[in-house]
Amino acid sequence: MTIEGNSEKPDLTPRRRFLANLMGGRKGKRLSVSNPTHVVCLELLNQVGVHFPDAHLDARQMAELAAAGYEILGFDTVMPEFSVQQEAAALDCEVSWGSDTMMPEILTHPVKDVSDVVIPENFLEKPSIRVVLDAISILRHEYGDRVAIIGKVMGPWTLCYHMVGVEDFLLMTVLEPDKVTALLDAYIPVTVAFANAQLRAGADVVTLPDHATGTMVSPKTYEKFLVPLHHKMLPQIGGPTILHCCGKCLDRVHLIITEGYDAWHFEWINDPKKTVEAARGEISLLGGINTFDCLLRGTPEDVYEQARYNIEAGVDSIGPECAIALETPIANLKAIVAAAEEGY
Amino acid sequence: MVDLSPLSGAIEKGDREKAVQLTAEALSAGAKPQDIIIHGLQSGMGAVGEKFSSGEYFLPDMLMAARAMKAALEVLKPSLEKTGIPTIGKVVIGTVEGDMHDIGKNVVATFLSGSGFEVFDLGNNVPEKKFVDEVRQKKPDILGLSALLTTTMPVMGRVIKGLDVAGLRSSVKVIVGGAPVTQDYANFIGADAYAHDGGQAIPVCKQLLGK
Repeated sequence: MTIEGNSEKPDLTPRRRFLANLMGGRKGKRLSVSNPTHVVCLELLNQVGVHFPDAHLDARQMAELAAAGYEILGFDTVMPEFSVQQEAAALDCEVSWGSDTMMPEILTHPVKDVSDVVIPENFLEKPSIRVVLDAISILRHEYGDRVAIIGKVMGPWTLCYHMVGVEDFLLMTVLEPDKVTALLDAYIPVTVAFANAQLRAGADVVTLPDHATGTMVSPKTYEKFLVPLHHKMLPQIGGPTILHCCGKCLDRVHLIITEGYDAWHFEWINDPKKTVEAARGEISLLGGINTFDCLLRGTPEDVYEQARYNIEAGVDSIGPECAIALETPIANLKAIVAAAEEGY
Repeated sequence: MVDLSPLSGAIEKGDREKAVQLTAEALSAGAKPQDIIIHGLQSGMGAVGEKFSSGEYFLPDMLMAARAMKAALEVLKPSLEKTGIPTIGKVVIGTVEGDMHDIGKNVVATFLSGSGFEVFDLGNNVPEKKFVDEVRQKKPDILGLSALLTTTMPVMGRVIKGLDVAGLRSSVKVIVGGAPVTQDYANFIGADAYAHDGGQAIPVCKQLLGK
């Protein structure tokens, strides 16, 4: 008896497509489109009927808005955390959660010394942490194998910016380097606990923003503080990780590829061709499409061009290079997917 | 004539203690406050700005230099108040509403003060109306707008439109800056000038005033 059916081999699901690209694996019919940092804009907020600040604080609304990245835009991933302030809020910073047109901001920086670092025992139960874990669980339950879920946890360097204040912390890197190392070590448990909790809740991979970017710190500072920090931290995280480090970073790719991350989410300002060459196949490369001049101010044709440039350069998964401006038109975000659908 | 190149070097290296010591010594040796500012502090700042623009210096280096400069200006303050050194221009500066980032803006404000500008720093998260009101009241030569987020950059355009609506646009030169801001964007929103970093801001502001 013959069974009639479609004899064509099915392509990878969006989730498997992304995971294959993330780990440098089997190529499907096309490259994946991913968002290691959030992808939300005013048009999406209005279409989904979910708004800020509620989507930062309510798990169901957070999940619904994240799902729009797949359902409406056609991305292969969803990323449910739309702020970088969830940990700071749980560590008792005062946070303003903003609105549809204003991103959240941290208003207080209570830490001046390691003795000021207090990590509550019930950190994972704090509302701003719980909401992310619950949103991830909702998404995994609803989407199963269909779409990849990317979590997000601030690295200790970024946590120090939030807890100490960026200016004071950067001055410390020159004036009190031992204190910097002590503070970074003190915050490793926060990053590790939240990352592992997100993986247990159903995230496939976790993005770790550690904003030691080109203008902020030198490659020397990156090597002195970030490399040993990441070497200590990453073995404690039980799943794949993506480093998000924006800005000019070509001068530190040789360091990034030694740290143990599975992927680096990079910016267009680092020419994708040069980035691929510098990465030497030792880390997967995600992103590469400029958020401001291209996605916000450009046309779908401009976006298509940048997307194809990234694909042809050998980037592993394309998408916005960083969090997008809220006024970004949906048409431009869909243009990324259209470019990917043309294949390699 | 007092040799002010060691003071310039102290600012360049971000050595606050040395900058304070050398400023006090220069004053005791009879150097005029204006000469100390021009040949000591501004000279050091100029070198810092060039090194930042070329990629040799990074933000921590700029912060150290600004810290040294602020401390040196404190030493000069009593003498400046006595001699009443004329300013080369008045600047109102702030980070736009919705944006709490102010490091770059703080560095620029300090460098501008050290360059002879009278600076009114409005801080961060400054509403559009506040900028317009301050331009109306203080009548600055230059309004400096800073934004560090792509989400807050459009606010700079709204401030410029607000000046237009209030009939104040032609009374002030507007300079914009912040990490994601570009010359192209500055042109798009109708700013008069753009500075990529603190190092560039000083010569650009002087150029705006024809100095």
